[in-house]
Amino acid sequence: MNILVPDIWLRKYLSTKATPLQLKEYLSLCGPSIERIYGEGEETVYDIEITGNRPDAMSVMGVAREAATILPRFGLPATLTGDPYKEKVKFPTVKKPLPLTLKTDAELNPRWASIIFDNVTVGESPEWLRHQLELSGLRSLNTVVDITNYLMRAYGQPAHVFDYDLIESHKMTLRASKKGEKLITLDGKSHTLPGGDIVIEDGSGKLIDLCGIMGGENSSVTNNTKRVMLFIQTYNASHIRKTSMALGHRTEAAGLFEKGLDTELVTPVLMQGMTMMTSLTGGSVASNVTDLYPKPFVGEQVSVSRKKINSYIGVIPDKEIKEILVSLGFTVTMHADTVSVRVPSYRRDIAIDVDIIEEIARIHGYHTIPSKLPDHAPPVTMPDPQLQLEEQIKIRLRDWGYTETYTYSMISEEQMDQFNLDKTRAYTIANPLSAEWMYMRPTLWPSMLATVKTNLERVKNGKFFELSMSYLWRPGDLPAETPMLLVAYTGDKFLEAKGLMEALFDLYGIPEPEYDTTAHHDWLDPSRTLLLKGFGSVGLLNTTLSKTLGIHSPVTILELNLLAFAAQAKAGKTYIPVPKYPSIIEDLSFIVPDKFEIGRLLSAMRKAHPLVSRVSLLDVHKETRTVHIEYQDPAKNLTGEDITPIRKKLIALAEHDFGLTLRQAAITA
Amino acid sequence: MSDELIAASNLISLLIEAQEDALATIKAGNKPESELRLQLLGAKSELTRLTRQIGRVPKEERQKIGPVVTEIKRSIEDALNAIATDAPPKNSDWVDVTTPGIRPPEGHLHIVSQAIMEVTRIFERIGFTRVRHPEVDWDWYPFESLNMPAHHPARDEWETFFLEYPGKPGKDPHKQKIVLTPHTSNGQVREMEKGKLPIRMINIAKCYRRQIDVSHTPMFHQFEGLYIDKDVSIGHLKGVFDHFVKQFFGPNRETRLRPFHFQFTEPSFEVDINCGICLGTGNLANGSPCKLCKAGWLELGGSGMVHPVVLRNGGIDPDIYSGFAFGWGIERTYMMKSGTKLDDIRLLYSNDVRFLEQF
Repeated sequence: MNILVPDIWLRKYLSTKATPLQLKEYLSLCGPSIERIYGEGEETVYDIEITGNRPDAMSVMGVAREAATILPRFGLPATLTGDPYKEKVKFPTVKKPLPLTLKTDAELNPRWASIIFDNVTVGESPEWLRHQLELSGLRSLNTVVDITNYLMRAYGQPAHVFDYDLIESHKMTLRASKKGEKLITLDGKSHTLPGGDIVIEDGSGKLIDLCGIMGGENSSVTNNTKRVMLFIQTYNASHIRKTSMALGHRTEAAGLFEKGLDTELVTPVLMQGMTMMTSLTGGSVASNVTDLYPKPFVGEQVSVSRKKINSYIGVIPDKEIKEILVSLGFTVTMHADTVSVRVPSYRRDIAIDVDIIEEIARIHGYHTIPSKLPDHAPPVTMPDPQLQLEEQIKIRLRDWGYTETYTYSMISEEQMDQFNLDKTRAYTIANPLSAEWMYMRPTLWPSMLATVKTNLERVKNGKFFELSMSYLWRPGDLPAETPMLLVAYTGDKFLEAKGLMEALFDLYGIPEPEYDTTAHHDWLDPSRTLLLKGFGSVGLLNTTLSKTLGIHSPVTILELNLLAFAAQAKAGKTYIPVPKYPSIIEDLSFIVPDKFEIGRLLSAMRKAHPLVSRVSLLDVHKETRTVHIEYQDPAKNLTGEDITPIRKKLIALAEHDFGLTLRQAAITA
Repeated sequence: MSDELIAASNLISLLIEAQEDALATIKAGNKPESELRLQLLGAKSELTRLTRQIGRVPKEERQKIGPVVTEIKRSIEDALNAIATDAPPKNSDWVDVTTPGIRPPEGHLHIVSQAIMEVTRIFERIGFTRVRHPEVDWDWYPFESLNMPAHHPARDEWETFFLEYPGKPGKDPHKQKIVLTPHTSNGQVREMEKGKLPIRMINIAKCYRRQIDVSHTPMFHQFEGLYIDKDVSIGHLKGVFDHFVKQFFGPNRETRLRPFHFQFTEPSFEVDINCGICLGTGNLANGSPCKLCKAGWLELGGSGMVHPVVLRNGGIDPDIYSGFAFGWGIERTYMMKSGTKLDDIRLLYSNDVRFLEQF
């Protein structure tokens, strides 16, 4: 939380010669972070970030207290003045007090303090008060309200005022609300309560305060108010938090109360408030103070071992440890092996040993701790082969001329529908930010094709890839996050896509997957569809889908499941001796029937004989296919006689198993 | 001639075979040079026949063939010239050397991948190994186990996406809600649960928060470092950060820690890096104030010593072990380094090829 603190106000509680820039530098290093300084001279205002665990510092006094500890560490003397904990708290006794009957609940309201004033004149605040509030970013309304805001900013303790005469029967009951009860807060907003909220009802049973968040409109102070009840409390923090979040009503008061405030600060602040009410409104005290505080504060005792202090920070002399902790308000006892402290009432964030270490370390100064790399032996760990493979593939694709994309993991309902994806078996965002991002994508296709579409006009021969998770459905469980590679080409690039797939399989020593050329793929054109059993698919986007998507030119896709792929990848390459003897090469041309799938013939030939070392497709001409064959014997020079029976076998294979006719055989070497 | 495609590599191997044959024929020396020239380089030669196949190589690959043919022809010419008794003086072909060269294909890795690789390498050098933990996780790991029970105000820092439960929740109290991880810190207790100590991990993953503006996208990346061992100190944390910033940003960069608060670390720090322009002084050489950083330092991210509650949730005794953790944005860190002057982080996920091809 950020608060604005005017320099003139800060110096009311802090006596120091430190300049605003010094304050900014040194407080930021050891305490609350002064993020910006606005204005100059009398108008100087600090914008300070206070972390959520330090409600005690969310005030001018709180910042002054930190500064009084920190500045002397940098050689700048500083003292705290007007510390409310040290001011004398004594309330007057009134002979004929105005009546008030009340009932509260110590669990919801650990401390209740209030006092009533008569003959109050509600008017404009004096110039100095208005000015300080305005510099602090608080709007001046009238004397009474301004006093409550002043108390909150000065001490971090919200205050509230009621028009005493609007409290029916002068009776107040603080309780937990029932679900569905209604209340209008003084900003005019109407609320239906979720239940369990801290509220006050008056003698007529109507709700007059949404405690800790905002007062009720029906009991608020107006310009006609004569009798005012000033009301300082602490509340059960988690109740305030729940109500404020449930109603979406976030006020500065709620932001403070939900962090847990100091019960010991209640009466000192009431004392300050009383002084201001009597001097600024002309009002007089018309009741005795009511102070209900059944469980007074007992300071926690926390210890930390010397060993742990040394291990975290390094060796720090006893004297310095003690000085630091005392300056922060702790009562310190030094033992041989431990340091033990009693925690002051305003530091409820200190509960365990490392909390004390933090206090010592930050005031000692993080900037003074020497920086060094760990000198312990590093653990022996194996790098994740999946991550290595994914990185290698990305680099390969870049070097082969592909451009990587990163799209959001979430897709829209429209995209789910376009691809006919099952919305009942997809992970749905319960609180989406936008209709664009509703489902965790079960596939990368919709995102990739959206990318292709937006880039169609911008690039010729686009070659894109993305390597990201798909989120696959697992009932009652987290999604199976599956790394997928999706490559897209603008244009009909079937062989290029297939070639990329072949190259990747080769690279990792994975046998080419079983092809399924007949199976149907929802999104691919049947004339150019190749399913790679268990690994993915290669193909041309079909026209039905491309029409739906509004893509009016061909797009080719390669999809690979990299989890399945990595599972088959070989870790290294096996050495094959470089041939000592020359190979014999020959080309065989065959006449093939319509729709002949040459891949099957090539695979069969490769397996046909151990001396066949390579088989590739050399030429495609009308119905003729020329196959390029290399024979190699690692042990000797091959002769024409050696290969004759093999050739016969290959030709027989082509003719008998595949129904082809030999057209020509040509031995090259 | 068929118009079916053949791969460049196949054609090249045929050309090389033809070259070897031709050179062998010349070496055999049983024909006169002029006859050989016609046979090996003439219109009916094997080389010429193969050269005509270039049209069948996919366009993108065709450029690979030309230089090979030129080189083969030159080698055959040279061999023929060497045996010619009446050879003319060497007539080297004129080449316009100012012609634009033939470049290798140029692809592009996304900035995020580049940054991830660089960060991974830097931490590997000091024994941190990259791991992967879920991006979609039980509420327990990114929140409860990190000392942030339901309704805790500290959760306000993360605008978290929740998922509809897939079916009906079972009884396991840690498996009641699923979130898109708003930070990579869910990897902390998950890493501890592996049961191996010490730990030096870098977890890099996608994160999600319900916000979008010039400096936020609903999806982004973080890298999470976790170091757990005996006697881990604040000084070690500083040492590791200094190592990182010097390697990543430059040797004269430094870090400083400022007090902060996170529920899952104690003490907690905000980590600053000195400005690359003014090196932390806030002033330029000519005395004028630095415009980039305003005060000499830029915020890098959060970190801290792992909270004892978190260690216990991961099954580690905080009286024996301690550690530190940090989780920083990949995009933000990279943008601070590169001086890309990228003024809108959303561009990273716009996937405009005119943007992607710049990196």
